[in-house]
Amino acid sequence: MNPDDRIWAALAEIQDPEMPINLVDLGLIYGVRRDGGRVDVDLTFTAMGCPAADFVIEDVRERLLAEPDIDEVRVRVVWDPPWTAARLTEAGRDALESWGLAV
Amino acid sequence: MATANQVRFDNLLKKGDLIESTSEMTPEYLKELKHTLIVSGDTELISAPAYYMATKRAPSVNAFMTGIAIIQDELAHAHIAYHILEELGDDEETLIFERDPKSFRYPYAFDVPLESWPELAIANAFYDQAGFCLLGDIHEQCSYGPWKRGLVKVMAEENFHLRNGRTWMKRIAAAGGEAKDELQRNVDWMFPLTVEWFGLPDDRKMHSTQLEYRLKGKTNDQLRQWWLSTVVPYCESIGVKVPAHQEGENWVLDYPFPCTFDAAEKRWDFKDPCSWDDVLVRWRERGPRNVQMVADFQESYRKLRAARQQ
Repeated sequence: MNPDDRIWAALAEIQDPEMPINLVDLGLIYGVRRDGGRVDVDLTFTAMGCPAADFVIEDVRERLLAEPDIDEVRVRVVWDPPWTAARLTEAGRDALESWGLAV
Repeated sequence: MATANQVRFDNLLKKGDLIESTSEMTPEYLKELKHTLIVSGDTELISAPAYYMATKRAPSVNAFMTGIAIIQDELAHAHIAYHILEELGDDEETLIFERDPKSFRYPYAFDVPLESWPELAIANAFYDQAGFCLLGDIHEQCSYGPWKRGLVKVMAEENFHLRNGRTWMKRIAAAGGEAKDELQRNVDWMFPLTVEWFGLPDDRKMHSTQLEYRLKGKTNDQLRQWWLSTVVPYCESIGVKVPAHQEGENWVLDYPFPCTFDAAEKRWDFKDPCSWDDVLVRWRERGPRNVQMVADFQESYRKLRAARQQ
């Protein structure tokens, strides 16, 4: 697995704190850039008033810092383009529908 | 002689089938179901004003939003219980806005004021864990279909409340110094209060209609053990002391249960054991915030109703 794929795979292990879906399938991750041991993550939230924002950022930092060759994680919150349900992956759509959320 | 309805009801219950409407119930089942729903609705409802007082002391904008979101969830959970009660013939408005404060049926713990962010964190970790055990058991076992289905999302949302409580307890404990001391002082009064949450011990409660009707599956002591098995190891893992330990499969309290509690001082006297009759008297009298919390949300309703009648 190339290093970028490994970061995406690690992010896909993080569950949203409120719903049974991971951050990648929910479409929150806008981009990942890597420079040596440093990773920059651009992400968004489903709403500006997301009550779990703090937890999501904390989880991203903790999970990526657990990778052996990553020693710095910078998270940038992005609002443009705004998140919509169109950003859900097919697996994400299935997960939310099986939980009873119409998407 | 058993009526046809009674026979059909007994068969449904025996087979483990779900009961879906009042036409399938006996009057005794309906009464017990309503009682269980009122306790659930009242508990969720009253947690809103109880949590709000502490949420106002949130240490960051995001923490404040989290606290408000939890309150919003609790109100929605209350609405689920009251809405089912409406379908069973009660009136949600009357239940919430026209009952006497003392007739609300929620755990005594909510009557003791939560006045700081650390107290809210502990409440989310302890009280919501108690709610999680009680509702999780009902979700798994409940013989009344509409309630069982209504609890799927409630359980997922309670997880978020636990996350908030545990995360903040861990952060405050890690900060050390006076912050950790304050956390410990609050755990000292809130832990025994949540142990009480599950009610009389099994040897004092010989018969449970709720168990018989499969409105719940676990006894009071089994639920209390479940709660202890999650809370005690977590507290120990973050360096917070709690007066309980494990012996074999069981969790054992390191203080006399029950014992006396001074609500104004938020202090237990482990040297002063009391009887369950004493505890029942304290519960029935309710605690310091009962009247005010109920008055707060009934006041505007009454004003609006009076204005409409003029």
